[in-house]
Amino acid sequence: MSFLAPLFLLGGLAIALPVVFHLVRRSSREKQIFSSLMFLKPTPPRMTRRNRLEHIFLLLLRCLAICILAFAFARPFLQKPMAATPTNAAGAQIVILVDTSASMKREGVWSDALARAETALKKTTAADQVAILTFDDQVRSLVSFEQWAAMNVSERSAIAGQRLSDSKPTWHSTHLGNALIAAAETIEDAEKREQHAGPRRVVLITDMQEGSRLDGLQGHEWPRGLEVVVEPIKAKRPTNAGLQWVMDAEDSAQTTSDTPVRIRVNNSADAKREQFQVRWAGVAGDSLDAYVPPGQSRIVPAPKLPTNAAAERITLSGDEEDFDNAAYVVQPKAEEVNVLYLGNDVETDSSQLLYYLKRAFQDTRRQAVRLSASGALSTNRLAIISSTLSEERSSEVRQYLTNGGTALLVMNDTQIASTLGQLIGAPDVTATEAAVANYAMFGSLDFTHPLFAPFSDPRFGDFTKIRFWKHRKLTIDKLPGARVIASYDDNDPAILEVPVGRGRVFVSTFSWRPTDSQFALSSKFVPLLYSLLDQASGVSAQLAQFRVGDTVDLSALATKSGVSALSVRKPDGSPVQLASGETRFNQTDQPGIYEVSAAPTSVKFAVNLDAAESKTAPLPTDELERLGVPMKSAEAIPSLVAAKQETLHNAELEARQKLWRWLIVAALAVLLVETWLAGWITRRSAAQAEATA
Amino acid sequence: MSALATQSFAKQSAAAPTNGHSSKLISPSALMAIKNLELRARIVVEGFWHGIHRSPYHGFSVEFTEYRQYSPGDDPRYLDWRLFARSDRYYIKKFEDETNLRCYLLVDHSRSMDYGSLGWTKSQYANTLAATLAYFLHQQGDAVGLLTFDEQIRDYLPARNRIGHLRRLMLQLEQATAGSTTDLVAPLKRIVEIVRKRSLMVLISDFLAPIETLERNLTTLTASGHEVMLFQVLDPAELTFNFDRAVMFRDVESGRDLFIDPATARKEYLHRLNAHNEAVRATCQRLGAGCRSFSTDRALELAMFDFMRERHQRGKSGNRFVRSRK
Repeated sequence: MSFLAPLFLLGGLAIALPVVFHLVRRSSREKQIFSSLMFLKPTPPRMTRRNRLEHIFLLLLRCLAICILAFAFARPFLQKPMAATPTNAAGAQIVILVDTSASMKREGVWSDALARAETALKKTTAADQVAILTFDDQVRSLVSFEQWAAMNVSERSAIAGQRLSDSKPTWHSTHLGNALIAAAETIEDAEKREQHAGPRRVVLITDMQEGSRLDGLQGHEWPRGLEVVVEPIKAKRPTNAGLQWVMDAEDSAQTTSDTPVRIRVNNSADAKREQFQVRWAGVAGDSLDAYVPPGQSRIVPAPKLPTNAAAERITLSGDEEDFDNAAYVVQPKAEEVNVLYLGNDVETDSSQLLYYLKRAFQDTRRQAVRLSASGALSTNRLAIISSTLSEERSSEVRQYLTNGGTALLVMNDTQIASTLGQLIGAPDVTATEAAVANYAMFGSLDFTHPLFAPFSDPRFGDFTKIRFWKHRKLTIDKLPGARVIASYDDNDPAILEVPVGRGRVFVSTFSWRPTDSQFALSSKFVPLLYSLLDQASGVSAQLAQFRVGDTVDLSALATKSGVSALSVRKPDGSPVQLASGETRFNQTDQPGIYEVSAAPTSVKFAVNLDAAESKTAPLPTDELERLGVPMKSAEAIPSLVAAKQETLHNAELEARQKLWRWLIVAALAVLLVETWLAGWITRRSAAQAEATA
Repeated sequence: MSALATQSFAKQSAAAPTNGHSSKLISPSALMAIKNLELRARIVVEGFWHGIHRSPYHGFSVEFTEYRQYSPGDDPRYLDWRLFARSDRYYIKKFEDETNLRCYLLVDHSRSMDYGSLGWTKSQYANTLAATLAYFLHQQGDAVGLLTFDEQIRDYLPARNRIGHLRRLMLQLEQATAGSTTDLVAPLKRIVEIVRKRSLMVLISDFLAPIETLERNLTTLTASGHEVMLFQVLDPAELTFNFDRAVMFRDVESGRDLFIDPATARKEYLHRLNAHNEAVRATCQRLGAGCRSFSTDRALELAMFDFMRERHQRGKSGNRFVRSRK
């Protein structure tokens, strides 16, 4: 006989209660009235021989009732051997998910991961279906369920193990969330194709680093019955520091190249060291000490490069893992932008246009604008025309525009309208001097036009402080395809855009000479000129720094150079030829300096390791549980399962036998007898008392 | 008589205990069977008179008197002509007081007096005793007053000697006990306030209450010129604690329950009770107040004798006020 709840047997100890009550009964039931208890002290109930047990049979009955009740509560059942549990004929669906992110390059981690995967593969039975996925920021399938099923049963594990050992950790970051979801989806897809009755399991072999991205996990609906078994791999040496190049903002005011490169050094939370050294690789020079407490990061300036020395790699030493100890740096170069000024102005005359233009275009980190008054048109991004051009020059400019150039025509006077006519091919364009009563102002501006888009924020969109004393009047009907971007308060057009071939010409019917308007002195002058330069596609986005796995957009470079097929040289020297017209490069699979060669020039960009990959402190497994991942502890499985099964079996036996019911009936019967007996004894003693009286 | 007077209570109760020891005395059980309190009192007093006539202690009166030789200037009204007839000398009959004796009976009506193990309670016994004294004194022409109390004063009758006063007094006495605890302080303070004239105060109680303040209050009483007598009434069960079974004991006054095994508690109880009684007695001794203890199985005539003896002793021992002032 066994018990389902043996602890209830302790209730049998309650038989002490009736015994004690029997013993103390005599003393506690009667009451003696007394005048005053002021001279008395309470005496504890004594169980002397005088308090000997009376009505032994009654006492025994009560004890028996309590014992039976305790026995019933303990849920006794007769043990029968457990029927052999039906073997899981269907087998399990197992997805082995192996982390191949950069942090797995740490010493001993990858070999450990392979060993674990090996063990997991060995545990599988012939009935099991296994898929092997590797993941970093992407998920790759090594062995799918179909491939597994197609393999010879005896060779499956060996082949899968071979494929796994052929793969290597990449330089990519870890997106654990995506990987788990992909594994779940693999199981679901297999389920859709074929009904599966067995258990479903995801064996996750990873270093569980803190830098893993877990987004997407929360709220994900996991397939029913799925269990995730985490096999966390512990690095042999915890201290790991990484470094990243911190780029300055593009429009940073610091323009000189002697601004030191800034480096972020971060230290893992479980690190044992705090002192690291940063130095340029391949250059003789001092190293710089960086003190970073565990779990924190510091930004330090890189050591100064010796004059005339060039270096592109900064290394960090002092930690125990070196997979993330290099940062590649490509110092951006200011781009030269040429602007051609076609006019008769003198640069030093502050009453003329050029004086202001010269001062508006200042060098920045991003670009250096060269304003010239002569030279070939084709090398210039923008042409600014402020005087009437000769026929010949006009046709040159027209050609330039048709080829996609951009020009700004400033109407200093009404005669320049003829030049405009020649440029756009509408010879009858005329202009008159507008009759301005007092002064004119901008009446409406088209903020949807890219030229004014930078001003669309209400903070910057106030042009009401600019007054125009003189401006020219153009008849818009005679300008084919012209779009008015800004107009005065008398509805005359102020700035127009007229397309010419692939290019376009912007016409301003005012000039910024101080005698004409306040425009040159307003805060809108410089931004508007730069906006114009942007419109002329004068500035290409800087190629600077990317992370491993990023896609690099080379379209600006392609447009600029006019080369249709770009070729990229990877850090290991292997060339990648992009297809014609393809401007996106996505093979940034290793950190280093990439070089894009476009016929005349070549551009370098740096690809660095993701900063999150340096955070190698282990993430607690319950973080996954918190995000709703159906976890199963890897250790306690066999014994727990067996115990659980036995408990279930016992509960079932007990439920079938239901001995407790009979025990309750017995207890009731005993209590009935006890009640009858007690009543009989009371009656008898009462009768005796009467008889004696 | 003096030998008798020095006997302690214990000896008395042992020598002249209860029913049947002396057939001359009325058994308390027989007496208590009489419902009418006045009748009970009358029986006791008549029996007492009967006893007195046959006793050697006749010839004294409640109020002590003295004679002194007449000197010119004395009021001739107070000359004792009978003595003059006998002795041919002029004597002045001197009274301690102009009026008759005033006696106040202070009777405890607290709940603890409701206890009795003999078929009558201490309260009934105390009431009979008080009624007896009242009857006796009334017969003598003295004024009797009554004050019943528990934790506060219940009833008060001023000392009178009118026709019908005795009846009222009996009715008051017959009222049931109502209060809960015994508080000896309040009635003593009150009586001092009410009664200005020198009186005899007879305090009948079981004195089963803390007596820390008893001495101070009795002092106030004696200092006001009153003569004080304490009659302690206790049940034989209280005196011997002869219970045999360990049961829950309930305090009549407070309702408190205590589990007590008499076998173990008796010794301690008797010790503490005797100490308490001794303390009461010592207090009385110090203040020159008479103190007598009664077991409720003791014949009431004996109580009357005690009363008389106490009075007589006071008279013999001279002026108690002088004594108490010493």
